Amino acid sequence: MGLSKKQIKVILLIFSTITVFLIPVFIKSQSYLQIFIVVLFFMYLTTAWNFVGGFAGVLPLGHAAFIAIGAYVSTILFMQYHISPWIGMFAGGIFSAIIGVIIGLPTFKLRGAYFALATMAFAGGIKVLIDNIDTIGPINVGGPRGILINYSGNSFVNFQWVSKVPYYYIILTMVIILVLFTVFMMKSKIGYYLTAGGEDPEAAASLGINVAKYKLIAMALSAFFTALAGSFYAQWILYISPQSVGNMNLSFEIAFIAIIGGRGTIIGPILGALLLKPLEEFTRTYIGSALPGAHLFILGLVLVLVMIYQPRGIQEIVLKLSRKFMKRISKKV
Amino acid sequence: MGSAILNGILMGSIYGLTAIGLTLIFGVLKVINFAQGAFLMLGLFSTYWFVELTGANPYLALIFVVPFTYFTGYYTQKFLIKPVFESEKDVREPIGVIIVTTGIWYMLDNLALMLFGAEYRTINVPSLSEAISFFGLYAPLSKIIGFFISITIAGALFWFLKYSKMGKAIRATSQDREAASLMGINQYKIYNVTFGIGIAICGIAGTVLLPFYYVYPTAGMHLDILDFVIVVLGGLGSIPGALVGGLIIGLIESVGSQFISYSWTIEIIYLLFLVILFVKPEGLFGVKGEF
Repeated sequence: MGLSKKQIKVILLIFSTITVFLIPVFIKSQSYLQIFIVVLFFMYLTTAWNFVGGFAGVLPLGHAAFIAIGAYVSTILFMQYHISPWIGMFAGGIFSAIIGVIIGLPTFKLRGAYFALATMAFAGGIKVLIDNIDTIGPINVGGPRGILINYSGNSFVNFQWVSKVPYYYIILTMVIILVLFTVFMMKSKIGYYLTAGGEDPEAAASLGINVAKYKLIAMALSAFFTALAGSFYAQWILYISPQSVGNMNLSFEIAFIAIIGGRGTIIGPILGALLLKPLEEFTRTYIGSALPGAHLFILGLVLVLVMIYQPRGIQEIVLKLSRKFMKRISKKV
Repeated sequence: MGSAILNGILMGSIYGLTAIGLTLIFGVLKVINFAQGAFLMLGLFSTYWFVELTGANPYLALIFVVPFTYFTGYYTQKFLIKPVFESEKDVREPIGVIIVTTGIWYMLDNLALMLFGAEYRTINVPSLSEAISFFGLYAPLSKIIGFFISITIAGALFWFLKYSKMGKAIRATSQDREAASLMGINQYKIYNVTFGIGIAICGIAGTVLLPFYYVYPTAGMHLDILDFVIVVLGGLGSIPGALVGGLIIGLIESVGSQFISYSWTIEIIYLLFLVILFVKPEGLFGVKGEF
């Protein structure tokens, strides 16, 4: 008796979940573990970006602004008011969601390229603002120098550990929660309305769907989740600056990876980060000193090639291959 | 103050020149070329190497820069943008093309970084940096030459579009691609030519800028954003709009930095951009339509 496809899927899922959870047990090198954290961090960011860039069908190019908001809110609360970054994280998320709605209200009226330009200008404006401001009243923002976060050794309340392992598990949990959230959202009314509005706003509106409302919900959720990653970044690296968290390249990289993976699908952004981030890290480590910029050149090249030959992203190829593979396995077993 | 205004006007006309290419491409293809700044960097670098290797006057570089950037633009459109453009012909909000041009931007910037390194390069032509008196106000000769070149190019482009056969075909395609095709115009050929012209104008802007500017791999990025602001301010697709937008931005930059630090003037430009996008997305000279 052979196994059904569903059974194989479940087995594979359980197997890969166990592998992912056991990675820190087998990989002792902190610098390799760091790469895994980077991959998960981007997986999280691209999945959050996908709410707007994929399902809502527009092209946001300013998500670094939300990372910056999350990082700065939790850090300022922690450094100056001694509030645990765990609380600061959610404060930053809510603040970011509010900003997301405020910026989304006028921008969602704009079409295609105008939306991309508006989000880019918004993120650029936020970065220049942080760059130029040292203090707002009693709040120390740090200007272009950024903020160094006090290091106090292992402490759950302070969101700080000597080892990188806790960070790995935290970002892994964040990715799992976000992906599950996305799966449930896409199966709910909100998800259907959102994709309908993203694919054909006029048709959706004629069916009585309030397209703008669902796009705003997507924007708020995307901004909220992205800001949480900003707070995570601050506690993980223990240093934030407008250049590291508000940078335009970061906004673009998130969008690129999600698009190469396949925007508008749940698996696309995950695959994109899984395949591109390690490639990027290795090119940077091994040929980065001889050829600076090689990793970004490759990213641009892959992006152009994917847009020409595989506009739905690499998820299409990967899914096709895995389906073939499953067929073969279910025959053999 | 007077000199600041004069310098703002001169600089603004050159900004306008960089934006004309962008607005021309948008007007015909309805595509915002995000790689415009990278092509400007290409113009700066090709001028730089021409001057470095031949020791000639920087403006002589135009005989090399113009064909080089024209064909780069022509073939970029033909091989990289056209396939995506075709597949998205019926999509109402073509995002794929924007993404491709962003990818090209990253490729060009980082190719320059790999080939030439990150250092700032400049050509030193003392006779061009001399300040010239202009009704009692002072401005460097290179900027004054730049101003006249910009005005000449804008005028020549206007004439070309209005009276030449190719120009008429370009205008016809921009107004209605289907109808133009029915009249026997090969629309993709027109797109290639338009893209080539747009990029060549960018190359000219590079030559004009270099005598008082630096070149480095991401030199185009700052101007890229300024260009977006300029074309949206003037109205996407409008050539006079690009010039006027350029003048406004040039004036804000040079007059503004008399009172506040330069980075705050950038913040003002960003704010102005957002306000225009939200309040009047068709810009000063654009056609009202869907945005």
